Amino acid sequence: MLKITNLNSGYGKLQVLYDLSIEAPGKGITVVVGPNGAGKTTLMSSIMGIAKVISGEILFEDVPIEGDLTHNLAKKGISYVPQMGNVFAELAVSDNLNMAGYLMTKEESKIKAEQMLEIFPVLKKFYARSAGTLSGGERRMLAIAMGLMKNPKLMLLDELSTDLAPIIAEKVMKEVARMRDELGITILMVEQMAKRALEIGDTAYLMVSGEVRYAGKADDLLHEPELCSMYLGIKAGSEDAIAEIEKPSTEGSE
Amino acid sequence: MTTDNKSYSNLGLKDFFLKREVMVIIVILALLTFLFASRGVNIILTIFIDFAVFAIITMSLNLETGYTGVPQFGRVAAVIIGAFAVGAIPGRIMAMFMGLPYGVEYASDTVNFRLVPEINQVLAGSWLISLGFLIFSLFIAAICGAAIGWLISRPAIRLKEGYLGISLLAFGDFFMWVGHNWNAMVGGSVPVSVPDPFRIFAGSRFMVIVLVIFVIAFLVFTYLQKLHRSPFGRSLRMIRDNDLSAGAAGKNIVSVRTQSLVIGAALAAVGGGLYVLYVGSAASIGFTKLTFTFWPWAFMMLGGIGSNIGVLLGVFVLVILRTMIVIFRSQWFGFLLQIGIDPLWLEFTLMGAVIIIVILFMPHGLVPEKVEPMLPKSRVRAVMERRRLAKEQGNQS
Amino acid sequence: MTPWMASGLVYASGLALTAGSITLLFIVTRTFNFAVASMATFGFYVAYTGVALYGGLPYQYYPLVFLFGSFLGIVCYFGLNRHLLRRQAAEITLMMSTLGYDLLLLSFIQMYADYLTHSYGLFPRRVTLNTHDFELFGERAAAIILPVIAIGLLTLLHQFMTKTRFGVAMRATIENPVLAGASGINSDRVYMVSWIIAGGMATLGGAFMAMAMTGTPTMGMFTIPLMFAGAILGGLTSLYGGILGGFMIGMTEYAGVFYLSQQLGPWVLGYRMAIPLILMAATLLLFPRGLAGIPLGKIIEKRFGRKRGESA
Repeated sequence: MLKITNLNSGYGKLQVLYDLSIEAPGKGITVVVGPNGAGKTTLMSSIMGIAKVISGEILFEDVPIEGDLTHNLAKKGISYVPQMGNVFAELAVSDNLNMAGYLMTKEESKIKAEQMLEIFPVLKKFYARSAGTLSGGERRMLAIAMGLMKNPKLMLLDELSTDLAPIIAEKVMKEVARMRDELGITILMVEQMAKRALEIGDTAYLMVSGEVRYAGKADDLLHEPELCSMYLGIKAGSEDAIAEIEKPSTEGSE
Repeated sequence: MTTDNKSYSNLGLKDFFLKREVMVIIVILALLTFLFASRGVNIILTIFIDFAVFAIITMSLNLETGYTGVPQFGRVAAVIIGAFAVGAIPGRIMAMFMGLPYGVEYASDTVNFRLVPEINQVLAGSWLISLGFLIFSLFIAAICGAAIGWLISRPAIRLKEGYLGISLLAFGDFFMWVGHNWNAMVGGSVPVSVPDPFRIFAGSRFMVIVLVIFVIAFLVFTYLQKLHRSPFGRSLRMIRDNDLSAGAAGKNIVSVRTQSLVIGAALAAVGGGLYVLYVGSAASIGFTKLTFTFWPWAFMMLGGIGSNIGVLLGVFVLVILRTMIVIFRSQWFGFLLQIGIDPLWLEFTLMGAVIIIVILFMPHGLVPEKVEPMLPKSRVRAVMERRRLAKEQGNQS
Repeated sequence: MTPWMASGLVYASGLALTAGSITLLFIVTRTFNFAVASMATFGFYVAYTGVALYGGLPYQYYPLVFLFGSFLGIVCYFGLNRHLLRRQAAEITLMMSTLGYDLLLLSFIQMYADYLTHSYGLFPRRVTLNTHDFELFGERAAAIILPVIAIGLLTLLHQFMTKTRFGVAMRATIENPVLAGASGINSDRVYMVSWIIAGGMATLGGAFMAMAMTGTPTMGMFTIPLMFAGAILGGLTSLYGGILGGFMIGMTEYAGVFYLSQQLGPWVLGYRMAIPLILMAATLLLFPRGLAGIPLGKIIEKRFGRKRGESA
């Protein structure tokens, strides 16, 4: 579905990613984990045409997309939920959904928005309120709803569970798994809260300092004790790791 | 490792810049010879005077914009204050010593045209008084310019980027209006004659003026080059490149920026004062933001923001082109005259086109600013050497 | 209405449109548009050309004025602004590029004025357009028509920005360009439309102002600090703030000159433009972010108790 080979990219003169190769197979969840500053968000930005691609190839459905403008990528069926600024805070929730369905006709977008309200009933209450007044969890819900609105083939999710209470984070993760199982969407997600993401993920990559350190099955990475404790701050394979999950894995990066 | 690469690429680029500088100088010389051959020596002298005056003003702009990163869109204010200070103050003081009227009536057109020739006679009689008059004029211009620079910086200095530029533009216009309307000082819309300290040279007056302005421009140039390398210059660049980290490093951003604005305004005022002494009268209509803000900006952008050599070359090229439009307007632009259009307006076309072309196609100008290390060259070399040795040792072990 | 009020209203409506134009472009593209100066002058010359060559009232040429401004805006966008925005140029570079465009336009205006003199025997360098006005309800028609047009245009714009899909997309792009792009909104088109609207507003504003002041080739160059002052006073964060700021600047100038010249004598007239600039300087000293920086909400919360400076 999405195949990245030897990607070098960054911002202006600053290179962040070095020879990165990642593949997200169709109808599965690919999880990219790694410590702070590993370049996970830059990866997303490079795919979406926001960061500058210096060299390398990004294939989406076997068509090269590097250097495409962001709105053209949206047209091709890639939906991006950024970590920061993932909703239009000054617009009403209804307008947010409307904008997410910008590429459809007005009627289509209305029907789709209604479906979203059924999936995320929380949003119904705030339909006419501006998105800036929502709580963190509600905002993420809205952001995911906006991502789903676009009928995507591929969804890029950047740090979905940051700033969320553990219970809500779990709910959001379940939602992501359901998207794959029921809607058949390919998902590439970047996560710092590695454990929960790896549990639902199919393929996993571990990124450190702009390079891939591990590539393989998500379950297998969970059982790599050295990598897990060094970069993710979780005890590999242990069942009592739940306590560790709440702790953001910021340590151990350098 | 990255520093190594940087210094190497710098060496390579240096040769290239040198070539570009040389090329521009050759073009300038060719144009000058052409003008000299077709119009004689006077046009060359006029170009030299324009060049020197605008070089001072543009270098002062470069200090504020290129070194400090303050978008100074109100350059005309300091220039006009310098011009009016020279028009108003030294002549009055002379009049006072000579027992002539020196109050409000000094500036009124019925009195002024009788007073100034009398003062001129005194000046022509003694080179000591002439020299004193010149130095005092420039001194007073610098003082007044510095005061205005400080005053303008007060409400504006804390603002950011565009905000700051717009505010400076507005305050620049404000002082322009004051100059245009304050009849009691320099007669407002009626030009006031200025006593002429160069009268003593009679026939060769023009040459002497060129020489004096050139010497002053050169002094300003060396001063600014020195300032650029001083600790103060380093603080300026630091604040320009990243005011947040400069602030974190303990630099007082507001005070450093204010100092830069004050110095810049003082220099620009000297430029304005010299211009008035050369023309012989302070006519407020002549001081518009087109001539004394936007032209200097075009000069600076063509030359290369932040590089004084570049600024000098930029001024020279454009002053020549400007003069050529004026001289050859009927010869070259006859087709415009046929439909009643005065080719002089092409001056604005040139100014606009230069700005646009520079921005689109060569954002760093003719002579880009050289990235200079913050430390003296010898120290840099020592540090590099130490690193190289350390690396070699590391490789061996 | 007293005479100063009538011309003040006309003038302030024009200034409001130009300040609004500056603000709109700034919030969408981060560009401080210097070219508003010459665009405004061009607006005046389009209206003047119509009246002088084909007769009629200045008002009937306003649609043409708006269209011409949009054309100037599109030219600037495709010729300059687009490339610089793609390059993510600095704010100052964007500003300088519009200054270059402004100077080009200024030279064309001057040449056009020469051409009018030569070919039609007109005197386009000092024009009082308000002699072509008529009376309405015992007032100068401009004092009523122009504010109405300005308010009408603003209402239309408000409807466009809130009710239409593209308008909402514009607001979305202003707030979050990345997310808007990811939603499939073509930011290029948003920038273009904002240049069209802003260009039209600028020229129309110039045509308005010429009904209260003498129209000259440099009228825009002369009033540009006031247009910017209006935009800055408005805080440069919302279109409505900009329009309000421009209107306030215009009215202060007329009211200030009227009262001060009565108190101090006619010499004040020469310094008329200083009055609004002092207002701007005072606002900036108190609130570096303009009117938008005034914590109105907090002030109201504290029961109007602690007023800091002016709270208008």
